[in-house]
Parts: sequence; C-alpha cells; structure tokens
Amino acid sequence: MNSFMRFVSVIARRDFLAVVGTPTFIIFLLGPLFMIALGVLGGQGAASVAVSGDKAARIAVIAKEADQAALKATDTRLREIVGRASSPPILEIFDPEGDGETQASTIMGNTKSDYFAVMYGPLETPTVSYESDSKKEAYWLANLADQIVRDRKSAVASDATLSKPVMRAVKAVRPGVGLQQAVGYGAVFIIFLLTTVLAGQAVGMLAEEKSNKVIEILAAAAPLESIFLGKLVGMLGVAILFVSFWAGLLTLGVSLDPRAIAWVSSWTPAVGMPVFMLLCTAYFIMSYMLMGALLLGMGGLAATMRELQMMSLPVTLGQIGMYVLASKAASSPGSGIALVAEILPFSSPMAMAAHASTDAALWPHMAALTWQAIWVAGVIWLMARLFRFGVLKSGGWRQFFGRKAVARQKT
Amino acid sequence: MQNDYPVWADSLIKTFGKSTAVNGVSLCVPQGMIYGVLGPNGAGKTTTLRMLLGIIDPDSGERSMLGHKQPRDVSHRVGYLPEERGLYPNMKAVEAIAFLGAMRGLTWNEGRIRGKAMLEAANMGHAIPKKIKQMSKGMAQLVQLLGSIVHKPDLIVLDEPFSGLDPVNQGHLENLVRAEQARGATILFSTHVMGHAERLCDRLAIIAKGERLFEGTVDDARGTLAMEARYVPNARAEEAASLLPAGANWDGLAWHFQVPDGGAEPLLSSLINAGHGIAALSMQRPSLHDAFVRIVGEDVAREEEEVA
Repeated sequence: MNSFMRFVSVIARRDFLAVVGTPTFIIFLLGPLFMIALGVLGGQGAASVAVSGDKAARIAVIAKEADQAALKATDTRLREIVGRASSPPILEIFDPEGDGETQASTIMGNTKSDYFAVMYGPLETPTVSYESDSKKEAYWLANLADQIVRDRKSAVASDATLSKPVMRAVKAVRPGVGLQQAVGYGAVFIIFLLTTVLAGQAVGMLAEEKSNKVIEILAAAAPLESIFLGKLVGMLGVAILFVSFWAGLLTLGVSLDPRAIAWVSSWTPAVGMPVFMLLCTAYFIMSYMLMGALLLGMGGLAATMRELQMMSLPVTLGQIGMYVLASKAASSPGSGIALVAEILPFSSPMAMAAHASTDAALWPHMAALTWQAIWVAGVIWLMARLFRFGVLKSGGWRQFFGRKAVARQKT
Repeated sequence: MQNDYPVWADSLIKTFGKSTAVNGVSLCVPQGMIYGVLGPNGAGKTTTLRMLLGIIDPDSGERSMLGHKQPRDVSHRVGYLPEERGLYPNMKAVEAIAFLGAMRGLTWNEGRIRGKAMLEAANMGHAIPKKIKQMSKGMAQLVQLLGSIVHKPDLIVLDEPFSGLDPVNQGHLENLVRAEQARGATILFSTHVMGHAERLCDRLAIIAKGERLFEGTVDDARGTLAMEARYVPNARAEEAASLLPAGANWDGLAWHFQVPDGGAEPLLSSLINAGHGIAALSMQRPSLHDAFVRIVGEDVAREEEEVA
C-alpha cells in the first residue's frame, strides 16, 4: 500500500469507528423505523377516515319496483367491469313517493349519508340531480338507465351471460418496456434519496477537525487530498452499512411473501437483475462520493454554521435539479436529454442506473464509471486546494493553480 | 547544503493579506541538536514552523526537511506537536496515541503497544482507558506529546510545548526532550519562555516581527552583552566614578557597570592604585532574557512581558 492510500485507510478507519462505535449510530441506523412507524400510523388514520367516508357515500335511483331488479343487476355487472377502485359509491334504490324532483332533493338533504347523485323519472328519459363535482357519479346513473333500455330493446335479461370464455394465464413475452422504465425510475429515486440522506452527513465532517484543531496534525502528516478521501471513504462505509442493513431486512421481508417474490421477479432490467443491482451499487457509491466531496469541502470552508447553511441551499437545489433531469432520462431513454443527464457528472450516476434498466450494453457503464471517478478525483482535488488556500491560508493564486511561487526580494 | 541539516530554510517569506508574517527567515538546524526558535508573540515562529512542516507553503524561499523539499515525503520520520493542541475528545488515550502513530506510519497495533508503555513510563498508566474528554488539559497535552513521538521520529518539532503545563509537567517535558535527544533525535521547538530555552537549547534563533535577528548558541546570545559587575569600594566610593566605565550606576550601596572590552583587571588595578580599594566585587554573566531584550528591542520585549 502506498503512503497516500495508507493515510486514506487510517483516516477512514478512524472516522468509520468514531461513527459506528457510538450509541447515536443505533439511532441513525434505526432512523427509518421512526419514519415507517409514523407513516403507518398516519396511513392508518388517513385510511380509517377514508373508509368511514366511503361508507357514508351513496348514489341513488328513485325507480318503480319493475325496474329495481334490472338496476341492481346492471349496476353489479358494470362494477365488475370497471373494478372496485373506479366504481362509484354504493347504489341505493328508493320507491317513488310523489314528485321525483322533491323526493330527490329530500334524499340529497339526508343527514345520515352523503348522496352525490340521484336519478328519477322513466328510464328512457331520466333526470339526474348531482353535486357539481360529482359528474362521474351522475354519468354512472345515466349509463345504468341507458344500458337497461338497450337490454330491453334487444330482449336480453340484464343479468344474462351470453358468452362463456375460457380464461388462460400465460407467461409474458413482451419486453415490458414500461416496467423497465419504471424500474429505472425506481433506481433513480432510490439513489437520489440515499445520496441526499447519507451524503448530507459529510458536510460536518471537517468541522470536528477544525474545532478541535486536529486538522493541524493531519495536514502536517498527510496530503489534504488523502484526508478528504479518507473521510469520504469512512463515511461511505457507514452509508454502506446502513444500506446493507435495510436492504437485508427488505430482502428478508420479500422472501417471506410469495406475492412479493413474484412481483420482484417480474422486474426485468435489460442488463439482468444481478448486474443491474451491481451497477446500481456502483452508481450509488459514485453519487455519494461526488456529492459527499462537494459537501465535505463546503463544510470545511464555511467559517460559521450560518455560512454553511447559506452555501448548502444552492447545492440542495442543484441536486434536486439533477434528480429531475435523471428522472426525465429514465422516462425517455435514448433521447437527447437522457444523454445530457448521463454526461453531466452529478446526474450521471442516477441517469446511468436508469440506462441499465433499458439497455443491455455494458460498455457505456464502464465509460460512465470511469468518467464519474475522474470527477470524484477532480472535486476532491479542487476542495482540498480551496481548503489549503482558504482555511490554512497557504500560498497565493499562482500556487492554487499549481505554479511555483515567484521568488521575492527580502524587503 | 540542505542535505547536511535535518531542517534547512533559506529566505522564507509569508504574507497574509497585507501583513508580512515571516520576512526572509533562514535556518539551519544541525543533526542531533536541540534548537530553539525564540521570539515574542506574533513574531512569526509558528508560521515559520508550519512552513517548514509543509502545512502551508511559503510565498517565496526554499526549505527542506531531512533532505526532502516536500516535508510530507518524510512525515513518517517527523513528530509534530502544534501550538493549538487537538485530539478527538471521544478517543481513549492509548487509541489517540495509536492514531497519531498510524498517521506517521506505525501499525495501529504497534502504536497501541508503544502508547501503553509510554503512558505507563510517564506515570499515566491510569489514563490508558480514559477518554481524552475525561482528562485535564495538561494530561491531554502530554498524551498528544507522546503521540507525536510514538513512532520514534528523527526530527521532533514542538510549537510552544511548555504552554499550559504546570511546573512539574514542564520538568517532565524537559526530561523527555533530553531523552529524545539522547536517542539521536533532532529537536526544533519554539518558545517565548527564556528559562526553557536557556536550559535546553544547544543553538537558537531569535525572531521578531517576522525577521531572524540572531542565530547561534545560548552563550553567543549572552555574549552580545558585556558581563555585569557589582563593585563596592573600600573608601571614597563616590569619587571612583571618574575611573569607572561610562554608564556606571551607583545605587547607594554599590556601583553597577558593564565590564569593559579589555577585561576587569586593568580597571581594578587603577581603582586600587587610586586608593578606592575593593570591599566587594562580583561579576555576573547576562541572562538569555537580557540578551533577548537587547536583541529584539526593549519595546518589543516589554510588549511581550505585558502579554505574558
């Protein structure tokens, strides 16, 4: 191991253990549990509110007894066709009592249930009263009437089954481009989310060394580039531990549910699932290192917390911009905008993960990983220079750009 | 020439904005010596050391450390205790020493073994499992010092090593410095406390306002001032003034004057011949402090004393 890599390993080891060996790491590791618990609680609350709302919702028809059976049968048939999610609220049928318009108004004014639309009158010329934002429910009722009238004209009973199909499930042979793009988008989102959450920690990593003056000892012993890289590698280790823990739990959860296994098995990224996972891991590492190097350097340069917050805002906004660009690349593979996203260094890891889901060629990934590694090295170099120049106050602008200092006469 | 000296610097200049911190300082630290860089606060001592160590680059001038122009190329042979002490507060003492050793090329395990032995030798065995944040400032400083020499460096650079230490620990540190010299290490340290420099230094440089004003041994520094004499005549004391050197001072009990270039003997014989006699006579070499005051100028020295 050369001295540069030895420094990297010493600093990475120290930083990794300093984070992992503390009780706060457990809180960090289990952090998503809080999010999941809150999500479940919130979801349950919202769901119960939605369910109670659904239970109270109604549509109604005022129809004479002779039409009531046909209405029920047609309503049931239509609901089977459109599915539960797209169906309107429960249908209630009332016997006519006097004037239809007055009865409809009374039903809609009922305080025990919410009636969104009420139909009355003969089925050939029905009238539908509805709330202005319940047009869908109104058309459902109108279609019921229309369908019954059609059935009657063709002398077919509303509940009759005229065709008896044989249903046979077969394995899909189509490429599933839509699903591949969805998998690509999923990869973009996960890399963005993990990078945002985990690389953000890099911002305060040099603050400790600056505040306790250890930076002076480190800078005397090792090149700043190796210090920066070591700190990034140490924190990357923490991030990988975090991701591995949750990925392991997720895999365990999926393996216990056959439906989940079937669902995951349906994902068919173009490069194949094992290679896709490897590439996504490599792109997450590149994304982390790029963003981490930038944030680490900025954290080192900032003199105060306020300065750091001011500098972080444009970076965060830029990162969101890169995510939007990579998402666009995922939804339009092979397009010009996808190429731009794949070349721009900070969107490249996300866009190339999406690329792997729709294109089987591997060489673009070798090229992209090399390109991104060059940028990681470049950002670390630049940030180390800025730190040496701005914080350690070493050298002038000529030395910043690597030129030898000009000899001056003693004055 | 630079290869002959563990530390060599020629005409180092460093400015921060419009202020010149170091203005043409040159140094040659011979092998195996304890070399002091003396100067008042703000003289440019720390900036000079940081340039020598490669923490910052000079605006101009050249430097070499153990024969290398890039000091970090030999960082595994150099130990450094910065002026602003710093350790990771959550690290245990022995881990902190091992970490500092690892930064200088030792394996972690070897660093731990040596660190433990060094702490025990320094009567700090009880501190081995303690975290830095649980220690006093002086103890943490000693841990850092041990960490800076755990890899047995050929060159040790100590920036104001005695500041913040109590007199007992200052004595320990002086012994440690001498022991490292006996091991064969070259020691370069900065201080503004003359007593330590006087006791420890084989050679020294005095820096003020960014410039090197003196370089040589402690005796050379003292030699910049003549010997001080205290003379009590037997008779007619006040009349002796005409025979004494210019600037002689009568305090009511004795005359005080600097011994003239020709030595004391001719003066004494003329005093005896003139009938003044000698009731008491003592001669005292000037201290390094006196020499320092003369070299850096009384104004600068007074500012320094006020700050101290």
